[in-house]
Amino acid sequence: MLIGIDVGGTTTDAVLIRNGEVYNTAKVPTEPANLLKSLLNALDKVSREVPPEQFERVVFSTTVITNLIAEGKTDRVALLLVPGPGVNPASYTFPGSFYLKGAMDYRGREIQPLDEAEVRETVSLIREQGFFSAAIVSKFGQRNPSHELRIEEILMELHPGCKVKLGHKVSGKLNFPRRVATSMLASATGERYQQFVEEIKKAMEERNIRAPVYILKADGGTLPIEKSVEFPVETIFSGPAASTIGALALTPEGQTSVVVDIGGTTTDLALILSGKPLIGSKGAKLGNFLTHARAFAVRSIAVGGDSIVRVRETDSGIRMVTIGPERAGPSYCMGGEEPTPTDALKVLGLIDIGDPERAKEAVASIAVCLGKSETETASRIVDMTAEMIEKAVREMFLEWEQEPAYRIWEVLQKKKERPENVVGIGGGAKGLISVVAEKLSAKPIIPEYSEVGNAIGAAVARPTLTLNLRIDTQQKVYSVAEEGEVVSLNSTNIGNFNKMRSEEAETLAAKLLGERADRFGISEYADEAEIANSEVFNVVEGWFTAGRIFDISMQIPAGLINEWKRREKA
Amino acid sequence: MKLGLGKIKDALKGGAEKNTGMEKEKGEKEKNQKKGKENYRIENSGRYPENGAKNHAEIDAENNEETEPERLEEVTMKIKTSEQQSEDKPRNESKCESKHESKHESKRESKQELVNEPVNGLLNGLVKETMVPANQTGTRKTGLIFFPAFDWAISPTHPEREERLLYTRDQIFEEGLMDLPQIAEYKPRLADYRDIARVHFCVPDIKAQATTPHLIAAGSCLVLADALMRGEVKNAFALVRPPGHHAMTVAHGNRGFCNINNEAILVEYLRKKYGIRRIAIVDTDVHHGDGTQEIFYNDPDVLFISFHQDGRTLYPGSGFMNELGGPKALGRTINIPLPPGTPDEGILYVLGALVLPILEDFKPELVLNSAGQDNHYTDPLANMRFSAQGYAKLNEKLAPDMAVLEGGYAIQSALPYVNTGIILAMAGLDYSCVKEPDFKPGMFVQAARDRQILEEVIATQLENWKNRDRLVETEIAKHGDFYRRKKQIFYDTDMIQEFQEETVRMCPDCQGYVTIDSHAHRSINDTRIFGVSIPIYACDRCQAEAGEEYRKRLNSPEYEYVYLQDKKADEYREYNMRTKQEISY
Ligand SMILES: [Zn+2]
Ligand SMILES: [Zn+2]
Ligand SMILES: [Zn+2]
Repeated sequence: MLIGIDVGGTTTDAVLIRNGEVYNTAKVPTEPANLLKSLLNALDKVSREVPPEQFERVVFSTTVITNLIAEGKTDRVALLLVPGPGVNPASYTFPGSFYLKGAMDYRGREIQPLDEAEVRETVSLIREQGFFSAAIVSKFGQRNPSHELRIEEILMELHPGCKVKLGHKVSGKLNFPRRVATSMLASATGERYQQFVEEIKKAMEERNIRAPVYILKADGGTLPIEKSVEFPVETIFSGPAASTIGALALTPEGQTSVVVDIGGTTTDLALILSGKPLIGSKGAKLGNFLTHARAFAVRSIAVGGDSIVRVRETDSGIRMVTIGPERAGPSYCMGGEEPTPTDALKVLGLIDIGDPERAKEAVASIAVCLGKSETETASRIVDMTAEMIEKAVREMFLEWEQEPAYRIWEVLQKKKERPENVVGIGGGAKGLISVVAEKLSAKPIIPEYSEVGNAIGAAVARPTLTLNLRIDTQQKVYSVAEEGEVVSLNSTNIGNFNKMRSEEAETLAAKLLGERADRFGISEYADEAEIANSEVFNVVEGWFTAGRIFDISMQIPAGLINEWKRREKA
Repeated sequence: MKLGLGKIKDALKGGAEKNTGMEKEKGEKEKNQKKGKENYRIENSGRYPENGAKNHAEIDAENNEETEPERLEEVTMKIKTSEQQSEDKPRNESKCESKHESKHESKRESKQELVNEPVNGLLNGLVKETMVPANQTGTRKTGLIFFPAFDWAISPTHPEREERLLYTRDQIFEEGLMDLPQIAEYKPRLADYRDIARVHFCVPDIKAQATTPHLIAAGSCLVLADALMRGEVKNAFALVRPPGHHAMTVAHGNRGFCNINNEAILVEYLRKKYGIRRIAIVDTDVHHGDGTQEIFYNDPDVLFISFHQDGRTLYPGSGFMNELGGPKALGRTINIPLPPGTPDEGILYVLGALVLPILEDFKPELVLNSAGQDNHYTDPLANMRFSAQGYAKLNEKLAPDMAVLEGGYAIQSALPYVNTGIILAMAGLDYSCVKEPDFKPGMFVQAARDRQILEEVIATQLENWKNRDRLVETEIAKHGDFYRRKKQIFYDTDMIQEFQEETVRMCPDCQGYVTIDSHAHRSINDTRIFGVSIPIYACDRCQAEAGEEYRKRLNSPEYEYVYLQDKKADEYREYNMRTKQEISY
């Protein structure tokens, strides 16, 4: 049996899946101050009367990292940065930064050595200032981590109690400021996240649950919970990822859909293009910080079922309806204070829940101001709400089409997909889905169990893995962005590096991906890996080819575990 | 440490979205910015993750598998040993102490006046009447297209190959420049054939000269032109390849790595679509921008200024001070030959003492920088001593509305730093820490003798500029109804020798139409073509006469192709003598 639990902002949803069928579901309120408790409540409720030895897999999606950061429950982090030439580091706004001399270039060649005396002084300073967490990040540290490693040595020597994250281990992708932010967040949340993981493990033991436990990442992939401690930032935004995978699991294969999760105050949108969830081309943004965390390209708009509906008078005396962005508790028909889109849906008979009389009352208060009938007014409110969602969906498609392109084939590739389905997940304001779908000329789908679609997503998500291999035959090294190490090509069985071909480079990438999958305990998915991009550049110096640079990206994309697919075939 | 994030409730609210090009008005924008609270929103931009589509850049690179080491094929540009210099012992100070004042100079006066004109709405593409860069002072973004064409090369070891912008990509991506709020990245598109036909007579046709990468490089300039004219950005940089400034009106093949002229295509597009008239092009590539010069030689509305290493010492061997423009456009071509070895100091001196005063006087509606990066002290094809700091300062001072990448082949030791410097300077950001690994301030000093040469160049060209109207008058008096000149053009890459006779109608009412009779020899092949070009602001009589010239040639069997380029009507035709087919673009 598979268990999926999504700890959301207001409710924590759980689902139990047996033989590819939803066997049980549960919903409990989320206690923001105690996410672990909410999570365990949902777990206990959904798994009641099922012997724990029958569980095969447990997956959580949780906002724990997001909460830690939002509540300021983070550790002070000293940032030891080696920026080298380029943007003036004075323009960075990271707190607790200490800049050090030293520089690497884009090919990992040292262009300025570290000043060890300066490093020692700085380490003493951060110790005096009482930092117990640090992140060490150098520009192009992923191309040559030796400065980061040496600073770590000195730090451990002079300040052994200090917890440290190294930029090249956190992310090997290009973008120094994002790497700094991601390393900083990882360092700031690392310890508490580890505690959280310990508590979960303890709770599992208490319940005699021996099944492997996973955390859902923002890219829709599962990560063994022990492994997740190394990448805490990857777990942010797992909520929208859970909904998206849920929608994927509950709609026909290979289609293009918009996933709409209408909450009380916000609506989350995600795209599934020809059966594949759309990943953001850059990392997620967390508060003010742009990170390297891979995440679905989701958009959150400030309108939901409980948004306040008001009438505003313009300067020229025209009265118009506004929706949101504020919320004052639940809808009027659910015992709240203010008219909302949910009341309008109720008046139009598009939803089942709520008190019809109160809904009428709420809409009437708006209708009076406009001098229109209640039905007319309700239609207007629903229409406007749907329009806001429609507009955001169109913008998402437009942005996807307008993504920068760096290769001819990317420019020529026609990006002209339009949604076939509008899939409602989360169960909020269901009646709106059909209105939005109509506006987009798409088919509305509200799948069975859509209220716990996010938990289903968590339960059936498969692992994801990326591998970005870079080979520089002139330097005789290769490095995997995700691993951080720069390895000599002599350790491979490739004979003449300078005659290396793309096929050999791709074979090496596949081998490394297999090993990495092994380390993540997901080797059964290694075969699902595909090459997303493969490029080779002749390095010409002095009019001769001096070597080659290969850039190869492989990935196990987001998808569903076989157990769930089995059900579809059956 | 609190990480300074808002409350989670607030955070989950949606907010102002990234500028999607939807927000056009400043007021609207400010409102949104105020509203734009901290929210846990994932960046909207997405990429189709799993298309599995694979790029085939490797094909070209692997053709030469067997021969190693590979010799570079004939490159007729001057060669000097190169790149490895970048591997010399690095000793620079990368941690910069001093804060550089890099405030953007206020816009040129002529523009200040224009800014107040109403914007003609958002019907871009449909608006035909005059439009000026909208609200330029209000937008603070620099538009950027980075198109490295990682899947295209002239040949595997040619300087114009896949690798050219690889390290630049690494540097600007690692710097996170695309994330800066001052920078808006745009997606390239293909230029239309019409956009090419507005400038060139392509032999045998456009398809043969403008392949996909050329169309994308030119198209990128047009995307940015639209963004600029819509007021989405305050200025823009097309960091694209292949380059174009050696391509002339008639395109028989590749010259100096160029087939079609990106700047010229940009100029004609701006004029046609937005009704702009006066444009200045400043060519800062080390090579003389002979293609751009030739295209606008008779056009008094386009001021062409080219800095370059003295033509006696470098390809293409032209760009002398006596090349001042056609009879009616004398003084609108200003060449500035620089002595080999000129450092930042010298180039910036010429900029301040000659180029900026002339620009101020000409009052262009737009200034374009034909931004080559081969003046760099490590460039393998030239002998100048310009640095990344120098390039950044130049762009800051020149403050071009648009810059378009041209040459620059020190792809490791120069381009990553120069491009970072230019982007920061154009965006009005601090570039004081952008330095090549081996650069030390003061390492290059202007020789006194060279300083004197520069002073002479400046004095001569200022004099020419001042007297331009009188020069035109005197020159026109020497010619009757037509002005003729003969030219010989050599295509280094494709080994073509071209002979041209150009005729300009000396019209009292407009700049006059131009005809070109061109004869190209390529090994045993000979091609002769005839082209008629009608300027966009031509008078009706010239338009009619020129049309007649075209029709007359349709019965002249000595020409294989006959072209009509009617920029006034935005109509372009090409007649194939053998098939008797006329196509129009
Ligand atoms: Zn030049
Ligand atoms: Zn050049
Ligand atoms: Zn005329």
